[in-house]
Amino acid sequence: MQRRILFAIALTLGIACATAALAQDELPAPSPIEKELASRASHVTEVTLNRSMLEFAAKFMDKKDGDNDKESQAARQMIQNLKGVYVREYTFDKDKAYSEDELEGLRKYFQTTDWSAMVRERTKGSAQGTDVFVKLINGQMQGLFVLDAEPRELSLVLILGPINPDSISQLGGNFGIPKDAVKKAQKEVRK
Amino acid sequence: MTKNYGTAALAILGLTAIMTPAILLASGGNEVGFDAIVRDVESRYHAHAHRIPFMGLISVVAGVSTHGGVRSVHLAEFEDVNGPVDGEELNKLVEQHVGKGWQRIVRETSRDGGEQNLIFVHPEGNRMGMLVVDLDGHDLNLVQVSINPDRLTDEINQHSGKHHPQTDTDETTAKTEPESDKPSATASE
Repeated sequence: MQRRILFAIALTLGIACATAALAQDELPAPSPIEKELASRASHVTEVTLNRSMLEFAAKFMDKKDGDNDKESQAARQMIQNLKGVYVREYTFDKDKAYSEDELEGLRKYFQTTDWSAMVRERTKGSAQGTDVFVKLINGQMQGLFVLDAEPRELSLVLILGPINPDSISQLGGNFGIPKDAVKKAQKEVRK
Repeated sequence: MTKNYGTAALAILGLTAIMTPAILLASGGNEVGFDAIVRDVESRYHAHAHRIPFMGLISVVAGVSTHGGVRSVHLAEFEDVNGPVDGEELNKLVEQHVGKGWQRIVRETSRDGGEQNLIFVHPEGNRMGMLVVDLDGHDLNLVQVSINPDRLTDEINQHSGKHHPQTDTDETTAKTEPESDKPSATASE
């Protein structure tokens, strides 16, 4: 009986901690599907930046682009306030290296209740396509998730924190974020 | 009774003999820092690290010439890493020795093992420690530096002709400097 109570307490604490972590917008741990994909991919790129790293990276962006550039200033400001960037890029030797079920699993893993689908682009008869999800809190964009599935490439981008739709494109090419994925997201967000 | 004591003493001695090397090995495996990584890479991949002579002096010169932008430079180069390198194993090896507070921000790995890149960072106040592990074929390079982004970018901008207002002594200097950089046509006239 005592064991059961202890187990129940431990379980409750575990759930509470996990919920708290999600509520704080912490970057998620890699999903089991990602490990599977990585084992099949010929090339894998992983970028994980938490808040302190982003604050630091913003310092480099600042002077590199010049302070007079308003766009880069806005991007720097945005990066400084971001809570995390999580990028995974898998390159495969052949087509159809991932399944629709795996993509669906990834979508579900990264979404919580605040997320809403903005783009759902599919190629008929294949798992290829692009998904863009945004996290909206009080009408403000607090997160962006892009899943871009090409025949031999799968890109996964998760950006957490307040995002300025006009400055999203500035993130492309930085921190391993694919330019195409961000461009697609910006196009849809601006609609 | 005496026989029992003798057996116990023998057992303790035997255990000590077995445990001592194990404890020493275990403590050796927990060594942290750049040199510990180099040593473990050498032992795991049977490769020899080429050290650059006077690296300490070079590090000091780098610190002075960049006005503190870059310092604590460590470099090790391996040219004879044989066989494909398992990315997961290399990552674990580095993580084991890199030390507390270091975080991996980038990992790039190829399945054939010929290409592996790892970047670890460690916030140090207004500085950032950075460790880069780069494997390309049989060449493996390990670089560790401590960077002050403000000073480093100021230094880079200074040499590339850009000036940042924060680094100049006052606003007037900041405004007039780009003009002074150019050999103005009006001045020569």
